[in-house]
Amino acid sequence: MRTLDLRPHHLVLWAAFIALMLLMPLMVGNGTLRTMIFACYLAMFAISWDILSGRTGYLSFGHPFLIGIGAYTTGILTRRYGIPVEASIPIAVLVTMAGGLIILLPALRIKGSYFALVTLAVMELMLQLVPVIRPDLTGGTRGISRLPALTRGAENGYYLAAGLMLAVALFAWLLMRTRLGTALWAIGMNEESVRGSGLSTTRLKSFAFLVSAGIAGLAGAFYAHYLGSITPRSFFDINILFQIIVAVLIGGAGTIIGPIIGAFFMVFLLEWLRPYMPGTERFFVYGSIALVLYMYQPKGIMAIVDTIVSKMKGSRA
Amino acid sequence: MMQIIVQGLLLSGLYALIAMGFMLIFSIGRTLNLAYGAYIMVGGYIYFWLSQQLGMPKIVGFAGAVMVGALMGFLKHRLIVKPLKGDAVAVEISTLILAIIMQSVMVLVFGDASKILLPIIPGVVTVAGAQVTFNILAATVMSWIIIAALYAFVRGTHIGRAMQAVSMDEKGAAISGVDPDKINMITWAISGALGAAGGVFFASYTQLSPQMWVAPVIISIAIVIVGGIGSIIGTLIVAHIIGFLEVSIVALWAPELRGVFTMLLIIGVLVMRPQGLFGREEH
Repeated sequence: MRTLDLRPHHLVLWAAFIALMLLMPLMVGNGTLRTMIFACYLAMFAISWDILSGRTGYLSFGHPFLIGIGAYTTGILTRRYGIPVEASIPIAVLVTMAGGLIILLPALRIKGSYFALVTLAVMELMLQLVPVIRPDLTGGTRGISRLPALTRGAENGYYLAAGLMLAVALFAWLLMRTRLGTALWAIGMNEESVRGSGLSTTRLKSFAFLVSAGIAGLAGAFYAHYLGSITPRSFFDINILFQIIVAVLIGGAGTIIGPIIGAFFMVFLLEWLRPYMPGTERFFVYGSIALVLYMYQPKGIMAIVDTIVSKMKGSRA
Repeated sequence: MMQIIVQGLLLSGLYALIAMGFMLIFSIGRTLNLAYGAYIMVGGYIYFWLSQQLGMPKIVGFAGAVMVGALMGFLKHRLIVKPLKGDAVAVEISTLILAIIMQSVMVLVFGDASKILLPIIPGVVTVAGAQVTFNILAATVMSWIIIAALYAFVRGTHIGRAMQAVSMDEKGAAISGVDPDKINMITWAISGALGAAGGVFFASYTQLSPQMWVAPVIISIAIVIVGGIGSIIGTLIVAHIIGFLEVSIVALWAPELRGVFTMLLIIGVLVMRPQGLFGREEH
């Protein structure tokens, strides 16, 4: 426990957060719960993106690719081969991690903008490839529908999504408190000096990729079962990427709670805008807010909160 | 066979034009300007709005698109790129957000459905046994004129040479009496204008839709990186490789695999040779 440097207030905050999330169904209606389910899944995607890109500074524009692999694997296995979900979801996670290795290989050689471009190209490749290759399995552009549902009703769906998100968040939080998390941070700061201090950055990056891909695959697979149907456009799309990245950035990259706050903020903002703007034009308002926030404070809401808190403390002292 | 050569030349000219505008920005600031796709999209839509919805002459529509593109480039430099002071990651993310914002503006104004542009010049001509519409022929000729003008501008004028200087070494250029800020601004505006002009032709080649910007932006980034940063000739060569690759696959194999091989080529080259095929070494 000492290496993790856990303090009592950490446990209290986590307990409060978990209790708040699990008590939600008693406080809000089913409509709001459905919105929160989406927010939970987006939060998981955002945490997955943040472990890789928020820490190491390797911008992945290909996360929809990983999420899509997870979703398609479980979709194909359950619908085309009749494999039960208990087996198909773990397989989906493993397949996604293998897919993560495919993007990992270029990342070991190239940096910065080039890495971002390769991952973007991989996503676009999948968007074009999936409808064409074996349409009997992938269902072509129409995708796969009637995936077996894991839960019935908004309340159970919410407990599943929130439970998963809490587990993922707690896991990521603990992981980032180990020396490994520190090393990943250091890669984002200065990769050469990490290598200079005798650590294998290749192994560190590979690890970050595998964890990130595993979480993306897990969340993607459960999300597919929640939605019940998958199409290439609904996964390998730049709008999904945009939502993930903005959720992380609005909340605050490099933190665990930040991406969760960002995801909830974004999903609820889109929901509130729905009565006024039913289509994708909601992204205009959303994107503008994101851009202004990002230009004002690139470290996100978490940093703004920190500044306010320290100012209040300062004025009291 | 002739069909492939003619079609390949036509498509490659279009790609080369689109890639040029991106190349200018990338070589001057190493900025992965994802909002470059927005210029392409907005250019196409402005042309559509002026010439087809308002019924103005086509040349007015084209000029309007180019002017709006230049203005967008200028504003983006002023309001976003300059305040971020060369933080590459921040610029990439803010341009991605901006591209999505522009996409939703287009949905807001013109609706979600795809639109077909009327041919810029109607009619069909047969070149060496291949059917070619005047429309795409005009787009290619215009592309080549613009590319030639750009080459002359970069090589021959004072501002053009200053742009090259800033792209090689910003501090060195500043010491030699070039104002990098002003040159950056001009480059962003020219890039916006080129993107919008390319967008008009690209939209008339395919169709107008709010999602149309993603594929051309990936292709132009790829052409520039694979061709080598700052190399106009390299950009031209790679534009032709990708243009011919796509046309050959559509004609000889399967039309739906068109984009697949382009993406594979991009990924392959970036992984094997990140400095590009014709670029100068980066340090």
